[in-house]
Amino acid sequence: MTVPHLMIWRHGKTGREVLLTLDAAGDATGYNGHVDLGTGIRTALGQIVAEELDLPPARVRMVLGHTGATPDQGPTIASETIQFAAEPLRRAAAQARALLGQLAAARLSVAAEELRAQNGRFLAGSGAGLDYATLLENQQIDAELDPQAPVKAPADYRIVGRASPRVDIPAKAVGAWTYVHDVRVPGMLHGHVIRPPYAGRDSGDFIGRSLLEVDEGSVSGMPGFVAVVRKGDFLGVVAEREGQARAIAEALKVRWALPPELPDMQDIAGTLRAMPSTPRLLRDQGDLAAAKARAGVWRKRSYSWPWQMHGAIGPSCAVADWSDGRLRLWSGTQNPHVLQGDLAQLMGLDPQAVEIIRHEAAGCFGRNCTDDVCGDAALLSRAVGRPVRVQLTREQEHLWEPKGAAQLMDVEGGLSPEGDFDGYEFETRYPSNLAPNLALLLTGVIDPAPRPSDMGDRTAIPPYRIPNLRVVAHDMAPIVRASWFRGVSAMPNTFAHECFIDEMAEAAGEDPVAFRLRHIDDPRTAELIRRTAEEGGWEPHVGARLRHEGEIAYGQGFAYATYVHGKFPGVAAAQAAWLVEVGVNRRTGEVSLSKILVGQDSGLMINPDGVRHQIHGNVVQSISRTLGEQISFDAIAVADKDWGSYPLARFEDLPAIRTLLMERPEEPPLGVGESASVPSAAAIANAIFDATGVRMRSLPFTPEKVKAALAEAPMPAALPAPARPRRGGWRALLAGAGAALAGSLAMGVVAMPLRPEIPRTQPPAASSWSAETLERGRQVFALGDCAVCHTAEGGVPLAGGRPLETGFGTIHSTNLTPDPETGLGSWSYPAFARAMREGISRDGRHLYPAFPYTAFARITEPDMQALYAYIQSLDPVRSAPLPAERMTFPTNLRPGMALWNRIWHRAQEFTPDPTKSDEWNRGAYLVEGAGHCAACHSPRNFAGAEKAGDVHLSGAVIDGWYAPPLDGTGPAPLRWSEADFYDYLRGGSARHGAAAGPMAPVVAELRELPEADIRAMAHYLASLDRAPDRAEPEPAALAAEANAALETPTDAAGRLFDRACGACHITGPVSFATAARAPLVFSSAVHAPGPQSLVRAILAGVPAPGGGQQMPAFGPVMSDEAITEIAAYLRRTLAPGKPAWGNLAEAVQAARAAR
Amino acid sequence: MELKVNGRNVSLDLPGHVTLLEALRNDLQLNGPKYGCGYAECGACTVLVDGQAARACVMPLSAVAGREVTTLEGLGTRAAPHPVQRAFIEMEGAQCGYCLNGMIMTVAALLMQEPQPDRDRIRRALRHNLCRCGTHQEILAAAERAVVLMAENAPEARG
Repeated sequence: MTVPHLMIWRHGKTGREVLLTLDAAGDATGYNGHVDLGTGIRTALGQIVAEELDLPPARVRMVLGHTGATPDQGPTIASETIQFAAEPLRRAAAQARALLGQLAAARLSVAAEELRAQNGRFLAGSGAGLDYATLLENQQIDAELDPQAPVKAPADYRIVGRASPRVDIPAKAVGAWTYVHDVRVPGMLHGHVIRPPYAGRDSGDFIGRSLLEVDEGSVSGMPGFVAVVRKGDFLGVVAEREGQARAIAEALKVRWALPPELPDMQDIAGTLRAMPSTPRLLRDQGDLAAAKARAGVWRKRSYSWPWQMHGAIGPSCAVADWSDGRLRLWSGTQNPHVLQGDLAQLMGLDPQAVEIIRHEAAGCFGRNCTDDVCGDAALLSRAVGRPVRVQLTREQEHLWEPKGAAQLMDVEGGLSPEGDFDGYEFETRYPSNLAPNLALLLTGVIDPAPRPSDMGDRTAIPPYRIPNLRVVAHDMAPIVRASWFRGVSAMPNTFAHECFIDEMAEAAGEDPVAFRLRHIDDPRTAELIRRTAEEGGWEPHVGARLRHEGEIAYGQGFAYATYVHGKFPGVAAAQAAWLVEVGVNRRTGEVSLSKILVGQDSGLMINPDGVRHQIHGNVVQSISRTLGEQISFDAIAVADKDWGSYPLARFEDLPAIRTLLMERPEEPPLGVGESASVPSAAAIANAIFDATGVRMRSLPFTPEKVKAALAEAPMPAALPAPARPRRGGWRALLAGAGAALAGSLAMGVVAMPLRPEIPRTQPPAASSWSAETLERGRQVFALGDCAVCHTAEGGVPLAGGRPLETGFGTIHSTNLTPDPETGLGSWSYPAFARAMREGISRDGRHLYPAFPYTAFARITEPDMQALYAYIQSLDPVRSAPLPAERMTFPTNLRPGMALWNRIWHRAQEFTPDPTKSDEWNRGAYLVEGAGHCAACHSPRNFAGAEKAGDVHLSGAVIDGWYAPPLDGTGPAPLRWSEADFYDYLRGGSARHGAAAGPMAPVVAELRELPEADIRAMAHYLASLDRAPDRAEPEPAALAAEANAALETPTDAAGRLFDRACGACHITGPVSFATAARAPLVFSSAVHAPGPQSLVRAILAGVPAPGGGQQMPAFGPVMSDEAITEIAAYLRRTLAPGKPAWGNLAEAVQAARAAR
Repeated sequence: MELKVNGRNVSLDLPGHVTLLEALRNDLQLNGPKYGCGYAECGACTVLVDGQAARACVMPLSAVAGREVTTLEGLGTRAAPHPVQRAFIEMEGAQCGYCLNGMIMTVAALLMQEPQPDRDRIRRALRHNLCRCGTHQEILAAAERAVVLMAENAPEARG
């Protein structure tokens, strides 16, 4: 930075704090300790400086929240920036202008009063002028702030109070803005943290003490590995690349102790009342008992608010650089100076050794994981001595962000005999605090005791004239990590106040707006309420009007609040009033908002466009919180890990929003970041009441909750949902088959002789085979999927060891490489061919038919020799001994397999059918021989042998997946034509969807086969269709109909599917390269007799043919319940004629356990 | 791995399973696409692949070999923004701006396929793009403005 020519500073906590500088060009830089959280504060602060300095806004730059450069002004919370933090900056700018004015007066030899400033120039009456750059030539002005420096009168404002375009958006719109997520430091590594199982909890003696064991050896050989870092319950890994760090973190073997269970998080009222708390009397006036005694109407109500997420779209990120005992940190923090202290404590440093460079992050609306991730990055950087970047995953952000706390408001009150609001008792419980930095807790630097705070009192005092009033805040510690979230406790407190006064108006027989106005003393407030009602088309009425058209009921609702923030009694920010019109579907319980008018009195508005945008943002976000958002918990922790489980409002939820901005240019500016959220929930609840006569007192107003409330109300009852058919047969059938086998094979098992061993030999040298033979062998090898079964997950290719589940137990594949000891390196060709054709190992033991020798027997002699040659040409790998097999009787006796072979196996080479074409015969050879399609796609009999004849290739369940029929009897609505088979085998997907599960590697291997072979296979498979002429639905019409159904979900499961899966599985106006290859309605998985394939695809995703996933595995983020719901929903929506899957929940559990 | 990114041929020595998003951000230092969820649920990572919208967080490099990728940076620049970018700047279609990449890229993809969408079509196109700041009204206004700017731009582009 160049030396400033003019500087205004003040004495701060740690020395000089610079507020404003001007450079040689006369451009200004303002410094503020508060930061821009996406609300446009940077623009508004720049406007204030530009105004007082008479500079164009484009010549003002703002530095926000950098600990080394900006004043310590505490955390950026409670909409205080414009109201308070901007004041010294405004004075500094005014002072600078006065100083420049003195210079200009001297240079122009006129009195300062005769000069006027404009666009960075001072002009004298004579027309002479001097710009700031000229005035500052050779100057070095260094002035302490004069807090009384005269500022402009609002009437003289030319920049403040006018719409000013946001200064940051042009860069953001072209990707030229540097968010904290975009910071890259030379030599930077990537970190990934592994969090304890007590997700989202921060008090209790298990915190910091639950990590039992870490096996660094489980990951130290992985690509990019740098370090595992552990301290207490803090655990992280560092790697060269971001993806590598994540892979290492996921593979790291860790053992944790399980935490104690949470209290009942569904029962917010019961749990909050039962937790320890300290009552704090905020107001006690009049005589409540007397009011109650004389009351004409007295009501007692409870209102509850759920736990909610801040839900920043960008998971938190930080870059730390530890060197020479100093820490430099690039952070998106809301509280740079608080964080500086926390990190100094964490690292045992002096705060001055911690420098925080603040960059913008994703809008967080309160305390999320932004500060926590700084601690993570700092610990990892110190451990490896290099800069480390950490970005949390979506799951980690969801689980660990300090939540917006649940809140309970117990209220009673009533009317005097004259109908006035006479008595009100209000008690509020808000289990939240400032959320200590997670790294401090996990490492044990601070003790994990419950820490209550006093933030439950925001707007706890109702704004109305109520003579007998008692208000108590029960201060309590968090139950799960919790901290401030937009509107803090004021939003729930207002929900209670404004719903209750609506009820009082009804009891008094008065219009709710008129009743409010009658109890408001402040004329400014009264004007806001009156104007909002007028502009919004308020229809005065008493009680619920119950207007409806068909199944939709319509209503209007009103609510008002002044957001009071800061330490009690606090300071008022802008006040806001809502008028909302709703439609309530009485059958489904869905609440839709049609019109919203928000009136707001913000005092002087620095940037009216900015105020309007803040109101819009508050409206959308608070609608989302009111109608849909509630965190779920399992027994020990937060359960929601993605946007599927935790819904945010979307474009289709957007009502028409209008704003009424009260013009108050003479009044001081008030914070506008949160106020418009505060009345939201009550306004909507009051509108639902007008429409339906039902008072909703517990958020969120989900369709299910509204429907339930309507069912209890004296209204036309909702139609009962049709009962779902249940079936339990699928698993039972399989179990029965196993029992039959045990009975029939028990006879004569031991009587069968073993076959002779074929002695070990030295196979011919690889060079003795022609390139053509080796290439032929490579293709047979690929067609046979040899590598798929003979490679363990994460193991050396072809070295075996992969466990294979069969109906009779688990076996392990063997080493195929030519290692003489553990592989095929000492096998002669006859030994190899015997194994391939007869299922007998070189040593004479029988192999299990999981090895598909029954199909391989059909391979021609030249192909078999080529395959042998190819295998012998591979690099030998020595493998570890295989685990002992655990097969059930009688197949646990390998001799039993001899009998099995005698009964079920014909070791015969393929013989062409002379009546068929060459192509057909080639296809048949490939499919039935090395391709061994029937191994999975034919049902097996009681003995585990493929059934032949009519049921050949008629589909089966194998390895937990459904292998659909290949004979045209499949359940999918579309036939498999020759073209479909070709597309699928060649490209990995057809009209019916993409190859998933065990078919994915099969298709990947088939890429080695020539075009003609794939065409032949498709030709042969298509010829198997038993009913080639059967009618099939018109695909486009079927797809459109199914898409329409998925696009208009009518229940919770449908909405879950839409949020979690819709981007790829619902077709909208934009076609996506990442969309599913085919509509789900065409997929065999949803039409199959069992849910196996669908469930497995959701859990494990779908691999991409060339590596990676084309559909991500949802197992890590979706609960079993969510997967069950989605699978059942798809079945009933896309396969409506087919029976529902029985035992679906058990199938999901089993599939997860098998993974 | 060869592909074209924002008009440039690039060669990446990376395994096919690496996500396109990681390669764009970390190897090519492009900041437009953002990591938001990793499950194609939020849209913050949206790019164009051969002119079609794509969620880069769920796209492995193996799926883009030989293809052409366009990011927010490739759509336009500060000096010469794309009409959709201009529309978002004019209508202030961002608060924090983290979702902005996805909004702009998705609207750009929509307008390439359908130059005159109405408000309902725009809403449906953005159905699976999340914004926590609640900028929806400004974003819709920006998308509608983009329709106008694209139409104005079209003759020039042809000329």
